[in-house]
Amino acid sequence: MVFEARRLRKVYHTGEVEVIALHGVDLELNAGELVCLLGASGSGKSTLLNILGGLDVPSSGELRYKGWPLANSDEKALTLFRRNCVGFVFQFYNLIPSLTARENVALITDISRDPMKPEEALDMVGLAARMDHFPSQLSGGEQQRVAIARAIAKRPEVLLCDEPTGALDVTTGITVLEAVERINRELGTLTVVITHNAVMAEMADRVLHLSDGRIVSSHRNAQRLPASQLKW
Amino acid sequence: MIHPLDRKLLRDLGRMKGQVLAVCLVMACGLAMMIMTRSLILTLETARSLYYQEHAMADVFTRLKRAPLAVAERVADLPGVATVEPRVVVDVTLDLPGVSEPATGQIVSLPQDGGEQKLNRVFLRSGRFPRADERREVVLGEAFALENKMRIGDQLVAVINGRRETLRVCGIGLSPEFVFEARAGETLPDHKRFSVMWMNYRALAVAYDMDGAFNDLCLDLAPGAAAAPVIASIDRLLETYGGGGAHTRRDQASAQRLDDELKVLRALSFAYPLVFMSVAAFMVNAVLSRIVRLQREQIAQLKALGYSSRQVGVHYLKFVLVIGVIGTLIGGVGGRFLGEHLVGMYTMFFKFPELSFRMDRSALALSLAVSMGASVLGVLTVVWQAVKLPPAEAMRPEPPADFKPSFFERMGLTRFFSPAFRMALRNIERRPWQAVFTCCGLSLATGLMVLPGAMSDSIDYLLTFQWNSQQRQDVAVFLTDPTSTRGLHDLEHLPGVIRAEPIRSVAARLKYGHRQRKLAITGIPAGADLNRLLNGSDEPILLPTEGMVMSEKLAEVLGVRVGDELRVEVLEGKRPFVDVPVRGLVTDYAGVAAYMDIEALRRMLKEGDTVNGAYIALDHVKWDDFMRELKDTPQAAVVMVKRDQLAAFRETTGQSIGIIRKLYFVLATIVAFGVVYNSSRIALSERSRELATLRVVGFRLAEVRGVLVGELALLVCIALPIGLMFGRGLALLIMKSFSTETVRLPILISPASYAIAVMVVLVAAISSFALVSRMLSQLDLVGVLKARD
Repeated sequence: MVFEARRLRKVYHTGEVEVIALHGVDLELNAGELVCLLGASGSGKSTLLNILGGLDVPSSGELRYKGWPLANSDEKALTLFRRNCVGFVFQFYNLIPSLTARENVALITDISRDPMKPEEALDMVGLAARMDHFPSQLSGGEQQRVAIARAIAKRPEVLLCDEPTGALDVTTGITVLEAVERINRELGTLTVVITHNAVMAEMADRVLHLSDGRIVSSHRNAQRLPASQLKW
Repeated sequence: MIHPLDRKLLRDLGRMKGQVLAVCLVMACGLAMMIMTRSLILTLETARSLYYQEHAMADVFTRLKRAPLAVAERVADLPGVATVEPRVVVDVTLDLPGVSEPATGQIVSLPQDGGEQKLNRVFLRSGRFPRADERREVVLGEAFALENKMRIGDQLVAVINGRRETLRVCGIGLSPEFVFEARAGETLPDHKRFSVMWMNYRALAVAYDMDGAFNDLCLDLAPGAAAAPVIASIDRLLETYGGGGAHTRRDQASAQRLDDELKVLRALSFAYPLVFMSVAAFMVNAVLSRIVRLQREQIAQLKALGYSSRQVGVHYLKFVLVIGVIGTLIGGVGGRFLGEHLVGMYTMFFKFPELSFRMDRSALALSLAVSMGASVLGVLTVVWQAVKLPPAEAMRPEPPADFKPSFFERMGLTRFFSPAFRMALRNIERRPWQAVFTCCGLSLATGLMVLPGAMSDSIDYLLTFQWNSQQRQDVAVFLTDPTSTRGLHDLEHLPGVIRAEPIRSVAARLKYGHRQRKLAITGIPAGADLNRLLNGSDEPILLPTEGMVMSEKLAEVLGVRVGDELRVEVLEGKRPFVDVPVRGLVTDYAGVAAYMDIEALRRMLKEGDTVNGAYIALDHVKWDDFMRELKDTPQAAVVMVKRDQLAAFRETTGQSIGIIRKLYFVLATIVAFGVVYNSSRIALSERSRELATLRVVGFRLAEVRGVLVGELALLVCIALPIGLMFGRGLALLIMKSFSTETVRLPILISPASYAIAVMVVLVAAISSFALVSRMLSQLDLVGVLKARD
């Protein structure tokens, strides 16, 4: 088991308003799984992903990563956790515009314990030929694939993707999902994907529905549909 | 009712209050300097014109040997002359109780029979004028009275024409002709050792065998009359009476000193604020460019809602207008505060009946105009870019910034650079103007920081040069009249004299082309070792057997170069006209002087071995004995004690430059801090997405800090040497503006001053970085990353 969460709660205080983003979530995520988080805006899926990725800490409850308690970790420990164990992909690619694709990936491989070569990571997402291009010279899909290469170059245990295709058209979106799928399959990385798009759930092992800060349903697909066959 | 757009403006400004404050403060520094200097100019000019007018400052002055009073009436009859005041003016030695060194005084006669002065009327601070029949009563100069704590009724001993006389103080006063109260030829006031006094004509005239005669004359010109023809006729008329050549108020010592000060202030009121305003313009540009980039979508929405380009433009211009107004307000208050405090400094030098600070309101309006001008100029292109953007295009997020490998990488140096350094280089290359502006701001701040150190170095050097290298005597003594070399022997035989070198000085008018200058030519022996003549490299200049050597400044005033021939009109004795070549230039920093070999001067005057003074080196053990005997030497009219002059310099000029230096230091620190803070704050805001990404992928805070600081650190490194060079230039400019006939500051900047400038800028940079780093640690990582660009 990679993640184990018990009674996970997250409360935000904005001014005098108290917003409960997570309402006592219990969850287990295993190595090699591809999990899809579905839910409307404000359902708590991003909060959950951020807590899993060490970008945020829960207000109460327990969270363990491979038996190691994450919930009460300090900033330093969380940085180390992100550096060594987690890869992130966001809707907006967040590449460093002043660095080429290869350099963006190298940014991570320089600080990781056992990274792959930047070229290898870019090859995995099908960008071997565009390695020396700057973000401004790449299409949206290509930029997102660089972001994925950057996330997996450190060989993370976990890949967390927050709406990775949100800003892309269908064809480009599918190329990006193919890359995610390939990473999951070839590297055995636990992959969690947030999406609004129910069609994408068909490529997952497991689909979790969130609503109002709770996991309201969970079902396992009998068979994963390859990303290339998705249509929306 | 505030328009919603203005509400937005206020809230936007509120959100960036740190930066707004930084820009406003830098702007305020420049404006405060401008308002302060212009107000001081107004203060001094108003006080001067009021004083000159109410106390009838004369237009023309002249000294002569002796002329009967009837001659004054003939002068009064000359065309162009309105009022004439003949007087007796003498130099005396004063013996102050409890002070070993003799002080000197200048006694000016008051009109006969207790009549009222027509010109240069004394302003009585307290007491009264001497009674008509009183022989020993004097009105004492206020500066001397204050410095020596003398009050009405006190007594002092003066050696009047060889006789020790006890004088009683009946009044304390000041006069428009002694606003700057110093001995003739002295560039700095020494209120402890020099006093001007006023005494009844008869008492003074009788003592000097001048009864029914005068030796000094001042006059007022008739309205519209030109000075030059009047001066020519007076000189002709007084020639037979030993006339020393008349001059206008412009060449009168006190008036000239005041003019010099105003000249310095005028230069400062322009050059220094200009630098500040340039920095402020750079900063405003940087801040507004950032706002416009961040508010790209808001601009589009405003336009989509139907706001015109003009309205949008005006909205963004209002940002700078608000900054300009706040800057001007702070600058106005600061300028007033500084001005009120600095007026106190001027009372050390200039004595007016009243010198109260007057705020130059026009300076406030001018400041507002200048600050607005600088800000608007700084942001015009930015605002233009904002308004010309079509709404549809602006609604879309800005395309990813276009980057390419930097110049150094294209040169194949990539492998030497870390990713952070590469990012810094490419960022700089992509927005070169932003980098240039930041660099300019930093360079200007560094340059400003060099100035206070340079001033300090300059004063230190001046003190060493003037009082150690050049003047190696302890005392200079001037005699009442020229005597044979016996006079020198008498001085040599005073107790404690180690060495005495003769002086023969003579009043003369030096003419070259249409320029002329009246001063004393000093004759000293060719190998003189006490008062040495030095060139710019501190090497002694040997006086030529023929010809003249003069101060570089005097050569500049007359427009002569080495090799040119001057026309010298001697204003004493046989009054010969002689052509004398200029053989060399002397580097000196106080006053102006012309020197000749004493033998050559005597030949020019067609006289024997005359002397009228000596430079003396003393055995300090016998200091008091020497001074005691000197006080009893009636021929010694003026005694200048070097250590007293040095103390006076430290108390007056040294102190005032010290105040200005501290002020410059504080202002430069504000600028340095403001510029770096502003730049790092902008970098943080513009690169927050990049920095957040790095944090998310696992970079430690310190590593991300390195990326943020890297670019700025690089700019600081580039800016520092440029700033030091600029500082040198600025110091050169400002010190040149200090260069008057009275005092000149040598341009000399020690490595320590450069080092201090570098250190202060680095400290400002490091503290700004620390502040911004704190903000960086509070960055909302998720929020930034999920936001659209």
